[in-house]
Amino acid sequence: MIWRYDGSFEGFLSSVVQSYTDKTLPDLLTKSEVDIGLFDEILDISTNTKDALKLLHAIEKQLGEKIKEKIYHTFLCDDQPFENDLLRYIRLGFKEPSLLEMISHPLVYAIEEYQKRTLRTIHKMNAFSRFETLEDGTLYAQISPPRNVLPLMGGHFKKRFKHERFIIHDLKRSMALIYDGHSLELHNIHDYDLPQRSFDEEKYQHLWKRFFDHVAISERLNPNLQRSHVPLLYREWMCEF
Amino acid sequence: MTIDEKLTILTESAKYDVSCSSSGSTREENYGGLGATGTSGVCHAYSADGRCISLLKILLTNYCIYDCSYCINRISNDRPRAAFTPREVAELTINFYKRNYIEGLFLSSGIISNEDHTMSLLLKTLQLLRHEYHFNGYIHVKLIPGAAQELIIATSLLADRVSSNIELPSSKSLQLLAPEKTKEKVFLPLLQAKNYALENGKRPIGMSTQMIIGATPESDFEIMRLSDSLYSKAMLKRVYYSAYIPVNNDKNLPALNVPPPLLREHRLYQADWLLRFYDFKVDEIVNEEHPYLDERFDPKLAWALRNLHYFPIEINRAEKETLLRIPGFGARSVQKILRARRQKQLSTNDLIAMKISLKSARYFITVGGKQPEKTLMSYEALEYKLLALPKPLPTAQPTLFDHFASISGEL
Ligand code: SF4
Repeated sequence: MIWRYDGSFEGFLSSVVQSYTDKTLPDLLTKSEVDIGLFDEILDISTNTKDALKLLHAIEKQLGEKIKEKIYHTFLCDDQPFENDLLRYIRLGFKEPSLLEMISHPLVYAIEEYQKRTLRTIHKMNAFSRFETLEDGTLYAQISPPRNVLPLMGGHFKKRFKHERFIIHDLKRSMALIYDGHSLELHNIHDYDLPQRSFDEEKYQHLWKRFFDHVAISERLNPNLQRSHVPLLYREWMCEF
Repeated sequence: MTIDEKLTILTESAKYDVSCSSSGSTREENYGGLGATGTSGVCHAYSADGRCISLLKILLTNYCIYDCSYCINRISNDRPRAAFTPREVAELTINFYKRNYIEGLFLSSGIISNEDHTMSLLLKTLQLLRHEYHFNGYIHVKLIPGAAQELIIATSLLADRVSSNIELPSSKSLQLLAPEKTKEKVFLPLLQAKNYALENGKRPIGMSTQMIIGATPESDFEIMRLSDSLYSKAMLKRVYYSAYIPVNNDKNLPALNVPPPLLREHRLYQADWLLRFYDFKVDEIVNEEHPYLDERFDPKLAWALRNLHYFPIEINRAEKETLLRIPGFGARSVQKILRARRQKQLSTNDLIAMKISLKSARYFITVGGKQPEKTLMSYEALEYKLLALPKPLPTAQPTLFDHFASISGEL
């Protein structure tokens, strides 16, 4: 049996609840957008926000804040089919909480790896996102990270740009994180007008590129090393490349 | 001259200084506006040589009244010269920071007119950034040896890190190649800044220096001994090593076509790492008998090969400090082992399940009393085996190390 959910965190948690009410596990749990075979038996899980919140609460209370975070970080690792592992991990936790401490357990190890991927991506995006200044002074960054890390990027930039306004726009997932100088909000963005850049934006991009090109020491050129630090997929929005 | 041309010249002239980390600021003052510093640095880009770009690293000016033999900016070189105004530097810093290109500024300078004049221009730049632009990001500034104490102190109060480069690892070499400089003179500004902080109950600012490797004949032993004495007096937070790239034709220096000793530099960083984080003593790494680091192996492995009586180590029982001495185990692997073995007696399969590399460690450990690989514990046999292992790319560079300071450094 294959279960499909709508791709949201609530939807995923609803699937976990379903596995408890039905006292069964699917062969595969996957997002509805994923292609599956013609003859597979399918159950579409309906998202129930109330149930999801209840489960999240139970996770926090019984397994602790750290595990809750681990589960969320795994969920954001959306380039991986993490669903089966995460479903079983949560059930393992409720059955035998102490097992979640055992990193040589294959499920526990797998979840740590998903989390690590997410955290690494956040780290990279915090470093590699590039902002442009818009006419009204707003800082605007377009990104398309390999994992869904936008929801976790706000704190970092809020700290540095406390008194600025900024928008980080994930084009791949049509979402934007918006900070108006006071509070942070995550929005779905389906339509948008390309914003007008400030008059000196081009000048500073050009100066940055100047710096970037001239700071390299030609006696030490090492493009492989450069690529291992900045994989090609991150370069799309980095103006120096 | 346009900003564009200035930036080109003053980036080119600054790039040989390798200390460019933005980590470990302990500044308590907050200048309010733009920017934040964290305990771990951020690399915002990597240049074509694979080095981390964290700070806008530029010279205020490359005019210089001195003639240090190893320096590209020395007065006797016929090069294009330029000078930024303090405001130009501040504008660049702010605008780069806003776009998330950099963590802050690393400002250094040639000596223009005289030491005090140069130092006051640097100070002026920091004052603009902190007080007028309210910039709260990271600033590393080079202090000018020979400048007045008030200027030195005022500047270091506004910075996150100050440095003064010794450049050459012995007084003899200094005298030969940079006769205006002495070890005492170079470190004086650092001492002044430190003493001021201590006398006024402030936390001392992070300080660092740089040594050029391979320009002069000092051995690794002499170099490490100097680093060790700087660390143990709690004088410096970091010593940087920079493989010498011949930029000048000079009878006292390597010829222009001599390639920079990158591997040696890499090994020195690894040795430095062992000193600071793995509780090694200098003598264990290099000494009178072995004055040079073995270029074939990382220094921890080289130490292990000379100290086979120390092994094998049982990973289910050994203390943390002992585990850290196992070649191929970094802080991360050791952390995993310590965590996992609280739950159960570990087997080789558990280590593999946790993705702990046993490539070189296998020869030095037992797991539940058994060795993962039957092996002759003799230096020759091991050396032969280990040399046959594929080499990891030398990726060491200071900022990378700084960056993962607490978690990594797999030696
Ligand atoms: S004082 Fe500094 S800039 Fe001037 S020549 Fe010596 S090393 Fe170069």
